[in-house]
Amino acid sequence: MNCEEYREAIATDPSFDGGAGHLNECAACQQYRSDMQALDQRISRALAIDVPELQVPELPELSTSKSELSTSKSELSTSKSGLSTSKSGLSTSKSDKVVALHRRQLAPQTWFAMAATVVVAALLGVRLVGTGIEYDSLADEILAHLDGEPNALRVTDVAITAKRLNAVVPADIALMDHSAGLITYAQTCPIGGRDVPHLVIQGERGPVTILLMPEEKISGPQRLSGDNVNGIILPVGNGSIAIIGERDERLDRIEESVLKSVVWST
Amino acid sequence: MHSNKAADARRQRFDRQVGIYHQDMYRYAAWLSRDKTIAEDVVQEALLRAWKSLDALRDDSSAKQWLLTIVRRENARYFERKRLETVDIDNLTASQAALLAEQPDEALDEMRLAIYELEDDYREPLVLQVLMGFSTNEIAEQMGLKQGAVLTRLHRARAKLKDQMARS
Repeated sequence: MNCEEYREAIATDPSFDGGAGHLNECAACQQYRSDMQALDQRISRALAIDVPELQVPELPELSTSKSELSTSKSELSTSKSGLSTSKSGLSTSKSDKVVALHRRQLAPQTWFAMAATVVVAALLGVRLVGTGIEYDSLADEILAHLDGEPNALRVTDVAITAKRLNAVVPADIALMDHSAGLITYAQTCPIGGRDVPHLVIQGERGPVTILLMPEEKISGPQRLSGDNVNGIILPVGNGSIAIIGERDERLDRIEESVLKSVVWST
Repeated sequence: MHSNKAADARRQRFDRQVGIYHQDMYRYAAWLSRDKTIAEDVVQEALLRAWKSLDALRDDSSAKQWLLTIVRRENARYFERKRLETVDIDNLTASQAALLAEQPDEALDEMRLAIYELEDDYREPLVLQVLMGFSTNEIAEQMGLKQGAVLTRLHRARAKLKDQMARS
């Protein structure tokens, strides 16, 4: 290990404890290490800002089904929560000042403005997304997205890791296992103004795109077709799942396996 | 009777995890948003989402990463909804300025301002490493990056802060 390599390692992680041989012989790197560790201590202290006292928001109570949650005001009192009664356990740092954390409510006029915006958008029949581009439909937006991410559609037999799958499909969105097929791509992508998991599995004719959209509710299945591709958007609970493959791909089997492998968390 | 017990156990589990990681959630949100008021909103929404999906957390040893992932998503949703403009350092709101004026310590104030001014891409991995104790692998997972990209960003973040401190 030379000076450049050692400093590179220390600058990315000052707790790096390798390169002892080089460090013992290089006074300049010893000084560099000491400087970087001092810098990190200062960074750490600066980042440790005061934290307000925790007040738990109004939590909906569980209904009969585990996955179905309904709001019940009788159990919404934050003062009854076990958290607010165990204040000392929450402030682990003695230096933390404790200030009240209040839950803000949206003003009625804000709700009205939001509702009006939704109605106007619905009447116009257009989809406004983060990029500012307007799409006539969800299907159009999905097809445009696929065009913009051609590297996802590689033919390969190398599956992504379970860790990667969990990172892109976190447990707060959905539970998904590998039974849908050989998953070879996973990325978080913006669809309909939201970040959603974009997966690719290997079908019989080539790569098949899966988009998990837990908050994109549709009234019924929607077919979509583009240049050499065909697909479907399926309503699933309060969301939907898009499955798009090559024009001659048998999607029915993939639909079945995907639907079995995914359970919404919300 | 049985369902009450289950509900109580669920609530206790939620309280336990949130009690342990609430500070991390808030600090992460504050440094992502660079605004204490927004951080409070984000944490509130994240707690609600965590409660709803608690059953999806299979292993409590993963709770910290799970909760911070939820915070990250809620922060993104917040900014998506609000379409907030870039922060002008000379024209901060009260809650943005509050993040910079924590304790009366000049050396820390300078460092806090330097961190505040770091680009999001550099600030977030630094927070995850220094404050949350994440490995570079875990940061890569959390941010959806390759490990090499994380190493580069951490290196540049420290280099920028070092230069900034040397100048001040």
